[in-house]
Amino acid sequence: MQIIINGKTYAANPGEKILDVARRNGIEIPTLCHSEALPGLASCRLCMVEVHENGRTQYVASCTYPVADGMEVFTNSEMIAARRKILLALYNLIAPDSARIKGLLARYHVEPFDRLEADPDSKCILCGLCVKACEELGTNAISTLNRGTKKKIGTAFNEPAADCIGCGSCAIICPTQAIEMTEAEGNRTIWEKTFELLRCRDCGEYFTTPESLEHVRKKLGETVGNIEELQLCNYCKTKRAATRLKDGLHLDEYLDSDK
Amino acid sequence: MQNKKTIFVCCGTGCQASGSMKIYQTMQKIISKLDLDVEVVADIKKTGCHGLCQKGPLVHITPQEITYIHVKTTDVQEIIERSIIKDEVIDRLLYFDKQQNAKIQSKNDWSFEKKQFRIALRHCGCIANDSIDDYIAKGGYQALEKVLKTMTPQEVIDEIRKSSLRGRGGGGFLTGLKWSFAAKAQGDIKYVICNGDEGDPGAFMDRSIMEGDPHTVLEGMAICGYAIGANRAFLYIRDEYGLAVENMKKAIADAHARGVMGQNIFGSGFAFDAEVVRGGGAFVCGEETSLIHSIEGSTGEPTSKPPFPANQGLWGKPTIINNVETWANVPVIISKGADWFASIGSEKSKGTKVFALVGKINNTGLVEVPMGIKLREIIFDIGGGIEKKRKFKAVQTGGPSGGCIPESKLDLPIDYDSLIAEGSMMGSGGMIVIDDRTCMVEFARYYLKFLSEESCGKCVPCREGIKSMLKILNDICEGKGQEGDIELLEEIGSMVKANSLCGLGKTAPNPVLSNIKNFRDEFEAHIKDKRCPAGVCKNLTKLYIDQEACIGCGLCAKSCPTAAISGEKKQPHVLDEAKCINCNSCRERCAVDAIRVH
Amino acid sequence: MSEISQIKSETLKIAQKYLPERRFLLAILQDIQRHYNYLPAEAMKTVAQYLNVPLVKVCGMATFYKAFSLTPKGKYIIKVCDGTACHIKGSLNLLSEIETILGIEPGETTADGLFSLETVACIGACGLAPVAVINDEYHGNLTPASLRQILQQYQGGIEDAK
Repeated sequence: MQIIINGKTYAANPGEKILDVARRNGIEIPTLCHSEALPGLASCRLCMVEVHENGRTQYVASCTYPVADGMEVFTNSEMIAARRKILLALYNLIAPDSARIKGLLARYHVEPFDRLEADPDSKCILCGLCVKACEELGTNAISTLNRGTKKKIGTAFNEPAADCIGCGSCAIICPTQAIEMTEAEGNRTIWEKTFELLRCRDCGEYFTTPESLEHVRKKLGETVGNIEELQLCNYCKTKRAATRLKDGLHLDEYLDSDK
Repeated sequence: MQNKKTIFVCCGTGCQASGSMKIYQTMQKIISKLDLDVEVVADIKKTGCHGLCQKGPLVHITPQEITYIHVKTTDVQEIIERSIIKDEVIDRLLYFDKQQNAKIQSKNDWSFEKKQFRIALRHCGCIANDSIDDYIAKGGYQALEKVLKTMTPQEVIDEIRKSSLRGRGGGGFLTGLKWSFAAKAQGDIKYVICNGDEGDPGAFMDRSIMEGDPHTVLEGMAICGYAIGANRAFLYIRDEYGLAVENMKKAIADAHARGVMGQNIFGSGFAFDAEVVRGGGAFVCGEETSLIHSIEGSTGEPTSKPPFPANQGLWGKPTIINNVETWANVPVIISKGADWFASIGSEKSKGTKVFALVGKINNTGLVEVPMGIKLREIIFDIGGGIEKKRKFKAVQTGGPSGGCIPESKLDLPIDYDSLIAEGSMMGSGGMIVIDDRTCMVEFARYYLKFLSEESCGKCVPCREGIKSMLKILNDICEGKGQEGDIELLEEIGSMVKANSLCGLGKTAPNPVLSNIKNFRDEFEAHIKDKRCPAGVCKNLTKLYIDQEACIGCGLCAKSCPTAAISGEKKQPHVLDEAKCINCNSCRERCAVDAIRVH
Repeated sequence: MSEISQIKSETLKIAQKYLPERRFLLAILQDIQRHYNYLPAEAMKTVAQYLNVPLVKVCGMATFYKAFSLTPKGKYIIKVCDGTACHIKGSLNLLSEIETILGIEPGETTADGLFSLETVACIGACGLAPVAVINDEYHGNLTPASLRQILQQYQGGIEDAK
């Protein structure tokens, strides 16, 4: 099937979303809540596009709207650009210090509102990526609490998160660095809970918490092949894998023979 | 038994608030003591809403067709002695119809009723609200029997499509079309849901139907279940609607006992079961996907459509959600036929609509009118005009999703499309009449504040857009409005409408945008002149007593909570601005309109 | 029995009226709210265990829906209707009068635990607007002055004041 984006035709597959096709072809659509690993939140509403389909014009979120053969998409119409500016100016009120937001403001030539004051302490845009990551991991230590303008991300009873394993996924995936995670003297503190950090078996750098390792071990159960490898940092894990690959393929010989 | 009389005591929430349950109980007590069997048999029925809540508690007696209003417990003895044992009419308790300038014996002849046409409310007030026998006696469950015995599922869908029934919950989507999607959807498990989470803060028709005629909702749902191939139904009802929950649960139990629900209904092999889910109190749960998540046991946050619930709804199965009033129409369409139904109403909106006619109107209550009726007829003929003979300013429809229709549009025929063209919408059917003492800026602020609390907070345009708009409106109401505020409200509002995830956000700016469109001068008076013409915004209002007009009756001084008004009897009074908190109590009490706004 | 273990066993009794399925979370919380007039933390933990739902999700539910309160409510719960009809007939004046007399805003409870104040969307008694409901007793056509009198009666301990 084919769809038309900004006047050009592109191949698309059934079940794909507009954003997938656009990104694959290098067409720019800004997003904040989209992650290829955790798609479908549709909360940031920055990826809105105009769709002409069956004689109807619709204004949809490209991250969740499925492609259909022959549909025509506009990513930068006048309406879209104007509304994007207003929306980004709102983002600037709730995360004024975020590098990502600042970048978007510059990229789309957005003038901040004079009339409305940004909250200097606010960082979180409540996109929900952290909660989704925590859910997918099966830890469920954080969730959205309250509703409406009082909504926030937090732990049960706002206490140090009992179920948190200190994996830091929430902080890493956050687009505005709103989740505080500090590391000092072999400890990591997140959601007001402090974890001891483990050193990598190979390089000796701190890399994860025992709780996270235990969580992975439990999840993998019997299927885990090499327990020892879980105790390596990502860098060393990759290094070992590369070494194995090299040994297995006798890459040296291969390279030699190519000469 | 020749002289059997029935007393219908309205026990809808409106009348209960005025004490109708005590009347019902007193009546039972007195009747049970009297030995009436010989000449008169009196049957007392607790019914749902009769409509004219303003005049409650209402008591109606058949076969004489006498309606009494504002009945007190102290009137009960007299009613029984004079109107039940004898056939007299108690003049004192009759309704005085201002339009006809006469006391009217039966509610059927009230001006309030004349232009109404009842389909969804057909049984409310006429049957005992907890009796399946009464429902069946009125022809109840015959539509279900007809469908199961003589029609194929496709024929049912065709009939509903032919009737052009549109969803009464707000959007106005064609009901039959929606059903056809779910009927076509793959899967052996499908669900039917009744949306009874009436969240519009000015509407109560769905509750009245659930309280007064619960079986009609169940029958409508069962008919849909047969049509789309669903055997299980959920009724999501606001937990605050205690009586509706209770009556609906009893109705389900009674329907089971009677065999019109459960296995092999009417010997057709069709099985259908329903259960009540109490809502948690969240306006956003009126949105289909939110409601589904709430039934599943999660927070009521919406998700993107597509997929639509008709294809993937409750627990991922094809699901049809309709609101209470829509369900109440279904059995009638099946019984009387799609052609009959489609003969009522306007070109693109068929049938009737129930409105909660409230606000500054003489006859507050529930009214059901044919689509296409003019606004003027609803407000002046049915509603009896504006309270205290004040000046009509506007009528708000569609609640927090709608907007105001100004005086210049009084002759607008009311249907789905005409309201949208005016920047409002049908919504669930709140109709709030506004006079010149309502500030349109503050009124817009009211809805936005409601929405700021009720937005689920998931998507940024809705959550942050509403918050920013509310901040600006708060400023304007407090006298801190700035040049350019109106334009900024329009800009943010249009983005929120376009970019929000669900229907709540997509319509949230309507009350503000519509009031700006129709009453821009009031916004400007607040911003530029720092004046609230309606005298509502406290920082922008200064009240005074017109010395010429004041007759010195003292009512104002009595009503003042801060003792800011003083004066001699029969002499013009004065108001101390330093003490006045601008609560308008005096202004409401004054009979000669002597309290004025600077 | 300690207070905590008492709450645990009472909550479990309430919860066990339902099958341990996620979809009954809302209903169970509603029943607990009705029983205690709020949701004690220990009760929420018990429900989380019973339904095998993460505790933080139970907190999410409890703070999302308006029916729930995480702190105990007062003896008298004053619900001021702020439905549209009541609003344009002066419900805000009633709220500010209550704030003057009792010093509480919507969502708050007086220090003596006597009154809690809430606003509710339309309760359907629009013919009596503006309306307040105090522990299921309706008070219609209110003005700041008449409300003051009613509150004084409750303060004086008259249970069935009207």
